[in-house]
Order: sequence, then C-alpha cells, then structure tokens
Amino acid sequence: MEPIASHENWRNCFSEVAPGLLLFVRQWVQSAADAEDIVQDAFVKFWRRNHDISNRGLLYAAVRSLALDFIRRDARRARREATALAEAEPVIERQFEVDDDTQSALAAAVRSLPCDQREVLVLKIWNDLTFSEIAGALGISQNTAASRYRYALTNLRKTLQPQ
Amino acid sequence: MNDFSELEKELRKLRPSQPSPVLFERVGEALENCRAGASPARQARLPYNWWSLGFGLAAAAVLILFGTVTIERRHEAQQTVAQTSAATETRPAPLRREPSDSRSKFIPAGGTNVVYNARDEGLHFGDGSERPVRRVRYHTQQTWRWRNPETGASLRVSYPSEEIVLIPVSGQ
Repeated sequence: MEPIASHENWRNCFSEVAPGLLLFVRQWVQSAADAEDIVQDAFVKFWRRNHDISNRGLLYAAVRSLALDFIRRDARRARREATALAEAEPVIERQFEVDDDTQSALAAAVRSLPCDQREVLVLKIWNDLTFSEIAGALGISQNTAASRYRYALTNLRKTLQPQ
Repeated sequence: MNDFSELEKELRKLRPSQPSPVLFERVGEALENCRAGASPARQARLPYNWWSLGFGLAAAAVLILFGTVTIERRHEAQQTVAQTSAATETRPAPLRREPSDSRSKFIPAGGTNVVYNARDEGLHFGDGSERPVRRVRYHTQQTWRWRNPETGASLRVSYPSEEIVLIPVSGQ
C-alpha cells in the first residue's frame, strides 16, 4: 500500500509493471515505440498524481485511456498503416519472447483473438490482475470480464487443437 | 477453470517483450523533471486547498458570530416578554422601570431622513391669517439606528412620514 509518489526506487516498480503494461498497450497500438510513449506518459502521470501503487486497476485504466486517445489522434496514420499492412507482407513487431514453435503458435493464437477477449486475457495472465481489477480498468462488470476470459481460453484451445 | 489450467500454464510461460532500456531513462528523466518542478500538479492543488480552508473558516466565523448575535437578541426579547408578563401579573402599574443591565443598553447610532417626494401645493390662506402661505408636502422615509456597544447588536426602526411645510409669502 505504499504510495507510488514516495516510491523513491521507481525503477523496481516500473520494471515489474512495464512489460505487462507494454503488452496491454500493444493490443491497440502496433508500434512498440508508440506503445512505450504511452506507457511512459501513463506511468509518469500516475506517479505525479500520487496514486496508490496497489491501485493497479486505475493505472491500467489510465494506460488504456491514453492508448485509445492515441488511436483517435492518429487515426489517419493508423489507416495508412493498415493499408500498407494489407498490401505488403505484414511485419509485426514481436509482443512475446518465444523460445520454440509451440510458443510461436500460441502467440499467434493470442493475436488472433477478438480485441475484447484479448485485453482481458492479457490483464489476467501477464499482468496478474483480478477480475475485479480488470472490471475497474476496462469499465465492465466482473462477470463480463470472467466470461470474456473464458471465451478467450475456449477460442485459444480451438485454434491450437490439431486438425 | 480447471479445464483450462494447462492452457493457462502454457500461456504464463510466454514472456512479454521487454521494454527498451531507453524507456527507463526517459521515465527517469520525466520523474526528475517532476521533482525539479516540485510536482506542478500538487503545487497547483495546494494553494487552492488553503484558500478553500481559509474561506471555509471565515464563513464559519461569520456564521457563528451571526448565530451568537441572533441568539442573544432572541434571549433579550424573551427576557423582555417575560418581564412584561411578570409585571402584568404582579405589578399592575409599574411606576418606574427596572434597572436594566448594561448588556441591554442601546445607544443612538444615527438617523436618516430621505425625502423621496416633494409637492408644491400652491398658495393657501391659513385660518385667520391675512398673508398667504405656500404649502409644500414632503414624503419622507425616516430611519433611526441604535447600537449596543457591549454585544455589537444593532436595532433599526424605519417608517414613512409625511410633512407639510408652510412658507410665508411676502408680497412686493
């Protein structure tokens, strides 16, 4: 329950949450550099406003809000990128460190999930948020968060099952 | 959820990409800038809170003062009523006033006489008078104020009045 503003060793704190936050942002923002900008903005604002470090739902809500703002601001560029991606061979920056083909397939399966399921999965698996915190971050009910998570896992299993 | 435990385990083995070291430097710089600027967000909020507190205290003090004066005036009024009632029961015709304590003493603090209408009603002959007089009718609002120096309470009486002035007219 230590307030983040008094957390002098912010590096420990940031190194804990940064990979998960980046992954969360990259559910909407393709570019890793843009995602890092958003994470930086959100974390610094969170720190400056002296929020409680344990209030992770608020931190993720702030990150999500900034990411959605970025998408709105950058809609033209996003359309241009989308067109370029559709025409050319897509060069997708990696969201995961993969060790083998199995993990590569799993990462691809996660990418193929619908966005609403994917964001719940990312918050639950790689950010260790509870359904209550996820509900707070995404502005949905806990039941909705839990059911989206179940759907995500069901869809992943279907995708990964051998034909 | 047990059905998915294996899948969850596999998912957790996937490690998200690490942020670039540059990001840590940038965040560090931004936080240092915040500290150097003494956290502008908090600075901006602090004077606002003090002003609110100051205004709140001032308002509370005025309310308390007003409440005290009102209660004292009510108390005095009740005392007067009680004294009057008691006097009616025990002393049908009090010849002299009870000596009042200093707290109930009001001293004159001023008065105003505002003329809001003056009408010249022309020349008239008064009863038994041989010379005509000009009659002017004034409508005024008179206000008298008393103040109790002990309690700071004030009393104001205001009433309309009509005044007729007869001005002798001398013939040339």
